[in-house]
Amino acid sequence: MNNFTLGRYLPMDSPIHKMDPRAKIGAMLIALIAIFFPAGWIGYAVIFAVVACVIILSKLSWGFIWKAMKPMMFMLFFLLVINILVVKTGDEWLTLGSFTIYSNAVIQTLYIAVRLLLMIMITTCLTATTKPLDMTLGIEDLLKPFQKIGVPSHEIAMLISIALRFIPDLIDETERIMKAQESRGVDMKEGKLSERVMAILSLIVPLFVSAFQRAEDLANAMEARGYAPGEPRTRYKVLKMERRDYILLLGAVLLLACMIWLAYFR
Amino acid sequence: MPITFEHVSHTYSEGTPYQYAALKDVNLDIQEGKITAVIGQTGSGKSTLVQHLNALLLPDEGEIHILDRVIKAGEKPKKLKSLRGDVGLVFQFPEYQLFEETVLKDVAFGPKNFGCSEEEAEEKARKALKLVDLPEDCYLKSPLELSGGQKRRTAIAGILAMDPKVLVLDEPTAGLDPAGTKAMMSLFYELNQKYGKTVLMVTHDMENVFAYCDDVAVVADGSILVHTNAQDFFRDSKLCRSMNILPPALIRMRDMLNEKGFDIPADVQDVDVLADYIAKQVKSHE
Amino acid sequence: MSFSVEKGTYTTIIGQNGSGKSTIAKLITGLLEKKSGSIQIDGLELTLENLNAIRAKIGIVFQNPDNQFIGSTVRDDIAFGLENHQVPQEKMDGIIDANAERVRMTKYLDHEPTRLSGGQKQRVAIAGVLAMKPEILIFDEATAMLDPQGKDEIKKVIMDLHHETGLTIVSITHDIDEVAASDAVIALNEGKVVMTGTPDDIFAHEKKLNEIQLDIPFSMKLENKLAERGIKLERYITMDGLLEELCRLHSNM
Repeated sequence: MNNFTLGRYLPMDSPIHKMDPRAKIGAMLIALIAIFFPAGWIGYAVIFAVVACVIILSKLSWGFIWKAMKPMMFMLFFLLVINILVVKTGDEWLTLGSFTIYSNAVIQTLYIAVRLLLMIMITTCLTATTKPLDMTLGIEDLLKPFQKIGVPSHEIAMLISIALRFIPDLIDETERIMKAQESRGVDMKEGKLSERVMAILSLIVPLFVSAFQRAEDLANAMEARGYAPGEPRTRYKVLKMERRDYILLLGAVLLLACMIWLAYFR
Repeated sequence: MPITFEHVSHTYSEGTPYQYAALKDVNLDIQEGKITAVIGQTGSGKSTLVQHLNALLLPDEGEIHILDRVIKAGEKPKKLKSLRGDVGLVFQFPEYQLFEETVLKDVAFGPKNFGCSEEEAEEKARKALKLVDLPEDCYLKSPLELSGGQKRRTAIAGILAMDPKVLVLDEPTAGLDPAGTKAMMSLFYELNQKYGKTVLMVTHDMENVFAYCDDVAVVADGSILVHTNAQDFFRDSKLCRSMNILPPALIRMRDMLNEKGFDIPADVQDVDVLADYIAKQVKSHE
Repeated sequence: MSFSVEKGTYTTIIGQNGSGKSTIAKLITGLLEKKSGSIQIDGLELTLENLNAIRAKIGIVFQNPDNQFIGSTVRDDIAFGLENHQVPQEKMDGIIDANAERVRMTKYLDHEPTRLSGGQKQRVAIAGVLAMKPEILIFDEATAMLDPQGKDEIKKVIMDLHHETGLTIVSITHDIDEVAASDAVIALNEGKVVMTGTPDDIFAHEKKLNEIQLDIPFSMKLENKLAERGIKLERYITMDGLLEELCRLHSNM
């Protein structure tokens, strides 16, 4: 759990943390769209500057951001190698014996790399500064207008929030079952294929059985407390947009406008 | 051979902000062939202690001697797998570990992991199922079809089928009704008396401890507070109460009567004997 | 199976596992459908049309502390029922605080369930149920999965509720002490009612209880043994009562 940096919430006391999740989600989506306009290196520099400001404001450490990007590095290196072998257009940059590395191979990879890394930075900003539950509330509200076309926004949000609530319990249970089966001689790490299959079965079957039991108990408890999906209900937690949330959204829109201008009107 | 803990410590999440010393310098000698109760409040370290017995957890400091093996801190124990077969550990609510298609197959799972052939494993499974008194018509059913109590007995049979010399039970009667509790405790008593198995039982139920256990070890805050035989432990209920443990009803009654001028000896074990003493002392005033 | 529970009383239902007691709670709230017969609550027949009205009158606390904790924090869990009953948002905080106070969980309002003990989680369940202002409270083996401390916490809350409110309380339980403290007892075996009455009435039939694998409190066991030895006493369910009587016999002879 400690190694899973991409997507993890980091509690801090920062203005970004306190912002309305809807504004943050909205700003993130707009910024992600902005990345895909061909605004050139200047465009990426502008986006990077803006995102860097957000990161600094949110008191996240650059080490944390780097950790989120690390898993991608290997893939990007792999991509570079492939592009070098495949792309043979552009200027000749380097010749090793009978093999030539062309400029476009590197430049194309760089384009992809920069976009990918900017995307990771932006999404990490969102997930690190927003509690999973607030995120769920934000998603619920943003999906509400789509209820008219049949999107069950509340049910989706309820699903997500219950799943989140039970993650720690499921992790504990997995550990318990593993220990119980190890006490019966199961070796989770070594053994023939057939033994490993049994080992996995001895873990998964009880997990599923208990998950179903849990689901039934929960459904009974929810029904007994008057839950009826589809029926109107009030909500305890309210989200309120403040001035700073509107400013964030405005900023994102301006960023998008800037990219469009750089891409098509310069 | 006895089970010995020498200066055993165990710390969870060492080196992180969540570091937690669950066991601190534990020294304990468990006698072979006895039923020992391990008692203590939730969070005292009982579960951690007990998981060292079959090397699910390894000590960070100290040494553990169990059967003919030695587990030293910092070393990976040899013959680890066979230890798991000799020390049978039954977790709380063990019915959650059932997974095979039939009861018989599930109980045979343990023996198979220790090298038994299909036939041998099935033989052992049948023996174990008989021990736990599960009716034969259940053997080919799916474990999920059984009642809660039957599931638990199946899970325990799964451990007994490995024929362990030491049986370690974590709250075996949790959630059972009085009839189920009695049946379960009688089973463990029989396993100890008839088959000579050393039994360690983590429990909260003082009535059970009083009625069935030879020795008592009290765990508090990661170390052993008291380790004595059950009789001595309950002799003085002040000891119990100082550890926030409610003594069995018979003991409470004995002490209350003695406080009010009666003279009930400390080694009274059952209701009939108690009634005899009370009757004599009430009638003697007539 | 036929039985009735009087309004405002504290009734316990006892019986072995498999005696049918686990099914009762679910039948009363319509989580399970009865095959035949009728269930009436407060004069209303339990039918599909009346289901919601009846559910609004009943609050039920289940056995597993984890599997009825829906919210991500104590606050959110108590609010869940309020949301379902469309309580206006402005009123929610007041109700949540008041009910958390009732079960002494005010300090824990922002705690997640993983940081709570079994007893604490069950107290939250009780608060959540009380917040919906039921007339009937059902405890479906609510202490079965708790350690002794947790059991005590819950039993205390139940007794407080019995003394301080007019709620009708039905508790399905194994715990003999809880039975001894209740107003009325219903004993089940194999899907049928075999005995009803006050705890005194029930415990007087030790043999019959033993037949259906149930037990009597220690003090009554002792009384029965003393009666065998010629010492006849009043029936005392609690140890203190018995103690007093024995002291009296001892001292003033």
